[in-house]
Amino acid sequence: MSKTIFGRRRAAGLLMSTVLAVALAGCGTADEQTAGPTSSGGLTTVKLQLQWFVQAQFAGFLAAADQGFYAEQGLDVQILEGGVDIVPQTVLAQGQADYAVAWVPKALASREQGVGITEVAQIFQRSGTYQVSFANKNITSPADLRGKKVGNWGFGNEFELFAAMTKAGLDPGKDVTLVQQQFDMQALLTGDIDAAQAMSYNEYAQLLEAKDPATGELYKPEAFAVLDWNTVGTAMLQDAVWANTERLSDPAYQETTVKFLAGTLKGWAFCRDNPEKCRDIVVAKGSKLGASHQLWQMNEVNKLIWPSPNGAGLLDEAAWNATVDLSMTTKNQDGQTVLTKKPEGTAYTNEYVQKAIDQLTAAGTDVVGSGFTPATVTLTEGGA
Amino acid sequence: MTVTVDPAVAADPTAPVGGRARRSRRTAKGLIEALGPPIVVAAAGITAWELTVTLGRVAPYVLPAPSAIAEQFRLSFGTIVTTGTASGTNALAGLVLGTVVALLAAMAASRFRFLGEVSVPVAAALNALPIIALAPILNNMFSATSNIPRRLVVAIVVFFPVFITTLRGLREVDPVHRDLMDSYAAGGWTFSRLVRLPGALPFVFTGIRQASSLAVIAAVVSEYFGGLQDGLGSRITSAAANTAYPRAWAFVAGACVLGLLFYLIALVLERLATPWRSRGSS
Repeated sequence: MSKTIFGRRRAAGLLMSTVLAVALAGCGTADEQTAGPTSSGGLTTVKLQLQWFVQAQFAGFLAAADQGFYAEQGLDVQILEGGVDIVPQTVLAQGQADYAVAWVPKALASREQGVGITEVAQIFQRSGTYQVSFANKNITSPADLRGKKVGNWGFGNEFELFAAMTKAGLDPGKDVTLVQQQFDMQALLTGDIDAAQAMSYNEYAQLLEAKDPATGELYKPEAFAVLDWNTVGTAMLQDAVWANTERLSDPAYQETTVKFLAGTLKGWAFCRDNPEKCRDIVVAKGSKLGASHQLWQMNEVNKLIWPSPNGAGLLDEAAWNATVDLSMTTKNQDGQTVLTKKPEGTAYTNEYVQKAIDQLTAAGTDVVGSGFTPATVTLTEGGA
Repeated sequence: MTVTVDPAVAADPTAPVGGRARRSRRTAKGLIEALGPPIVVAAAGITAWELTVTLGRVAPYVLPAPSAIAEQFRLSFGTIVTTGTASGTNALAGLVLGTVVALLAAMAASRFRFLGEVSVPVAAALNALPIIALAPILNNMFSATSNIPRRLVVAIVVFFPVFITTLRGLREVDPVHRDLMDSYAAGGWTFSRLVRLPGALPFVFTGIRQASSLAVIAAVVSEYFGGLQDGLGSRITSAAANTAYPRAWAFVAGACVLGLLFYLIALVLERLATPWRSRGSS
């Protein structure tokens, strides 16, 4: 009696695990699903996966779609919004998008896990990450973080901070208290943490949009001390455009890539010259924060891109190597590094972006921006 | 305990035996029958999984192979233990707090009819509160750098099963016992202490057993919403964000072990507290 039950159970277990395995195998094998471009009204449909919610950080893409720069390249670009749990690299590798925006270290970590992606353009030439604290805490260098409650976002956004602490001789696991920070500045403002991670173009502005209870006015920049990883020397490359490695062997996809990048760079050039117009495009697309915040963000993002002496979108090899080195040597609190070995295969190529730059330069679009001067943006309470 | 040997059994040892005699004979065969199927199923499942991933060329970022997960488990073992201890401490503190409050609330609800009628829907509403809503609110109410918010989340999650099962137990009093205590003119507290509470014990422990695994899940999930980066939850999300899925799964396995540990301890406590249940036919 018990024997037959045993037999039946085992069979059921085997059956279930087999069904499960087959089902899983069906949804994402290592064999790429080539979601080949489809046409709509003579335009090639292209899907772009952003790494975060719609905001001015992606203004160039949104403007290119809005102003018809993609359409003049023969593309119909659908922009997919990102979020906390969306990993653009895997969306791209699984064929649910044709291109994706992702930070370089995170994307390289995904590549090491077998995600077949290649960088085709480096949008931001500089890092936009700060570690911010109230000025009266006297945190003016990474070494001053010792013994402090240090907020960070995790999710692979923390390695510049860890690199800076390591460089200053601190053990991130022992010498500071690490706190999982929400994607806002509440914990810093309430005094819960001593130093908070902030993007120059987003969370830092949120601080300046908050009221100082002591004065009843908005906080002034003097109230804060900012650690900028570009000056500390632990900056890593951030927003870049990634393409599907496997599909880059297909001439049609190569062509689409050049077209897509040409439209994109033209969009960014447009936002350099028309920040207010781009702000309106972003707000109309449904950004979470309001117009003044998006204008600040547009201005800060422009600072990360312009001027680009070699042309916007071109990857600087020295910066790439520095990012790879930091990714291989920076240990987090558990002693893990972003990368365990040098990126293999084609991790990046400037081939397509160079073609796009040449095409735009020939057509008279300025993709260097040597005359770029940032504006001064006045923030309002709550970023309205 | 003594085993009364049934003459029929003595005559034919292979014949099916009655419940009591069989339970008292913990033979090797019995152990195999009890543990065999789950072990075989688990082994078969893991083997099928490994083969599917390696032979089916499933991309490692979709589903890592068990061997890769085991390797990461070995590499990160020290971290899994320290972070598991942090999450486990939060789960335990919340479990104790939630259980104590649930017991007191159930006693009050069973004593006062009005409270009993009101409390069950309120408790059910509390149970329906998602962690995703609770955790950020509690993080804002208390310092996010303390463990209080997480422990409160666990306590709230634990409250409901313990409260409901305890209340049911307290309400199920044998009429004979009630009559007996009435004939002794026993007061309310005496009656509670001697009849209702011991009678409710099995129910209480059923509730705690259900709550034990929930406590671990709640403790791990609540780390997702900020606070100290010292537990399993923070490691799972950060590994997943870095596409280090084998490592993420290794920490998930750590959370499973922690949950099982809690469950087993609750089971042992249940056996210890209600020895009459494991002896009789349950």
